[in-house]
Amino acid sequence: MSSIKLTSQPRNEFGKGAARRLRRAQLTPAVLYGHGSDPIHIALPAHDTFMALKHSNALFEIELESGTELAIAKEVQRDPIRDVVEHVDFLIVKRGEKVHVDVEIIVVGESAPGTMHLVEEQTLSVEAEATNLPTSLEVDITGREAGQHVFAGDVILPEGALMLTPADRDVITIVDQNKAASETADEAEETAEESTEG
Amino acid sequence: MLIPRKVKHRKQHHPKRSGQAKGGTTIAFGQYGIQALEPAYLTNRQIEAARIAMTRHIKRGGKVWINVFPDRPLTKKPAETRMGSGKGSPEWWVANVKPGRIVFELAGVDEALAREAMRRAIHKLPMKCRFVVREGGAN
Repeated sequence: MSSIKLTSQPRNEFGKGAARRLRRAQLTPAVLYGHGSDPIHIALPAHDTFMALKHSNALFEIELESGTELAIAKEVQRDPIRDVVEHVDFLIVKRGEKVHVDVEIIVVGESAPGTMHLVEEQTLSVEAEATNLPTSLEVDITGREAGQHVFAGDVILPEGALMLTPADRDVITIVDQNKAASETADEAEETAEESTEG
Repeated sequence: MLIPRKVKHRKQHHPKRSGQAKGGTTIAFGQYGIQALEPAYLTNRQIEAARIAMTRHIKRGGKVWINVFPDRPLTKKPAETRMGSGKGSPEWWVANVKPGRIVFELAGVDEALAREAMRRAIHKLPMKCRFVVREGGAN
């Protein structure tokens, strides 16, 4: 997998005032840490960072004053209303190093007629090589009948990856369409007859 | 309609309406969601009306999640009553919704149907809302 290059500026001012000044200047505050080193506070171009973070489990090549570091996004803080990236935590990785990441589930195919699938686990925890992280895991549900399940152990992983989620964890459940709809109505109505006073 | 089974205190102060949602701002269960863009007191009647509007439009299939619960009582004094004589009696149950909060989620239908169903549900809600779709990318 190719890495995404980001050019950083050193960040010497801290706190919300300084962070807001950076964001007004179209920069995103970020921090880079890992391997026992001191955290490196940086500022990244906001739009490039926003676009780069659309790729799940991407590998970043961050240019610093002292050189270049390979990193993965550990945590991203977003504004829920404006959908802008407010701050990013990057974890320094080395080539060949194994890291733990959450990988998104992609459902492929259609289950049997009259059924629908419910995704119980949206992501699975996987250990993989930092330079070759899986972006998504495909789960094929073609022709599956109501009542069937796909467990974490059934998901096919790319070569070199190791599943960390327990193998018996339910990932996808196939349910009857009508049953799923009536369950929703029941949940909403079940408390209507109850007393309100303690 | 949604209503608490048991409450510790029948009458409470009004919930704070300032600020943004601290959690529940991402789609957790389904594929599509309704996100609040303004603060509001969402009553149990409004939640039920929105749910019915959504489920009736999708007809069959699909699963709806309600991510908020109306656990705060609001009181009202009777009409033409002199001031004083204590706090009024509980009249509504509301969920205190802040901007950014995902109020409803939906799965098991295609995007066009989900968008229309949720548009109808949004009409039953007292605040400005938007339709959101689950996206990949870094968390």
